[in-house]
Amino acid sequence: MGLIFLRTAAIFVVLLIVMRLMGKRQIGEMQPFELVITLLIAELACIPMADTSIPLLYGIAAMLAIFLLHQILLLCNLSWPPFKTLVGGKPSIVINKNGIDISQLKKNHLDLSDLIESMRTAGFFSLDEVAYALYESNGQFTAMAREDIPKENKESLPVLILDDGKFDRKNLSLTGTSEQFFTDILREHDVKNLRKVFVLTLDGTGKIYLQCKGENFRCFRVRLPEGSSW
Amino acid sequence: MVKTMLSILITLGLLIGAAFFEQYFVDRQFDKFETALYSLDEKVRDETAVRGDAESVRTLWESEKKVLHVVIPHTDISYVDYWLSEAVSLIETENYTDAQSKIEVLLVLCRQIPQTYRITFENVF
Repeated sequence: MGLIFLRTAAIFVVLLIVMRLMGKRQIGEMQPFELVITLLIAELACIPMADTSIPLLYGIAAMLAIFLLHQILLLCNLSWPPFKTLVGGKPSIVINKNGIDISQLKKNHLDLSDLIESMRTAGFFSLDEVAYALYESNGQFTAMAREDIPKENKESLPVLILDDGKFDRKNLSLTGTSEQFFTDILREHDVKNLRKVFVLTLDGTGKIYLQCKGENFRCFRVRLPEGSSW
Repeated sequence: MVKTMLSILITLGLLIGAAFFEQYFVDRQFDKFETALYSLDEKVRDETAVRGDAESVRTLWESEKKVLHVVIPHTDISYVDYWLSEAVSLIETENYTDAQSKIEVLLVLCRQIPQTYRITFENVF
């Protein structure tokens, strides 16, 4: 039983480290150590039940070990806050008043489409509608609406045109625009190199959200080409 | 906080207690069986062993294995069962040379099985 306890503890610690390294994308809505416990408990409960050659006490000892580790982690979390950050991570602010924080996205192994998807789930369809957005340590997405944003008629869904310097051809044909159309717009706004653009979205009113790497975001309007609607 | 501390202490106590008891219990059960096997081994070497001697060792093992099933995997117990059954029938037919090798295997198992459950570096990893 002592052996089972040590083996369980070793797997627990390794799994916890791996989950922390994987970032928030893998966690869902649980704290990392809670997910580790959920994964382990299910297996530990099943193996001795299914394999009759293993004494049931083995499963019970392993589950007691998991419970003990859970209680110790809870106690450490309560009595020493830096430990909580170490084990559970801390919230990551991915959108601030300057725009998208690219480094925070990368740190959590997320890309632009993940962020846009999370925003849509939270009820925001345009990147400029949000003043602050963050991924909590349990992986949940929280966003704070921008107060100064004018109420507009939402004619159509803003679509991603440029993602990390690359054109989305499907969205170009959906919006009835061309690469040249956006290259000209970018040139007008002193963006000569496409690879500098982290994100460019366009909505049905001609509003563009543009953010270049290492710069604040910009919002401006353009006249859409004739017949462009979606 | 007090409840959490208490649950930690109780669980830790239970696990440590169970770990020590398991080690002590498995060692003791196999020590007893090993002693019985040694005396049977001596009789086999002297070629004086009869089926009754082997049966008494088997009876001892049968009573011990009932409780051993709670703490060690049943496959380990089965190995002892197979080798012991062979030894019993070889002693009955007075094939002492073969019986001796079966008892030798049983003696190795008696030393090896408790070793498998010890808290050692090679067992943990």
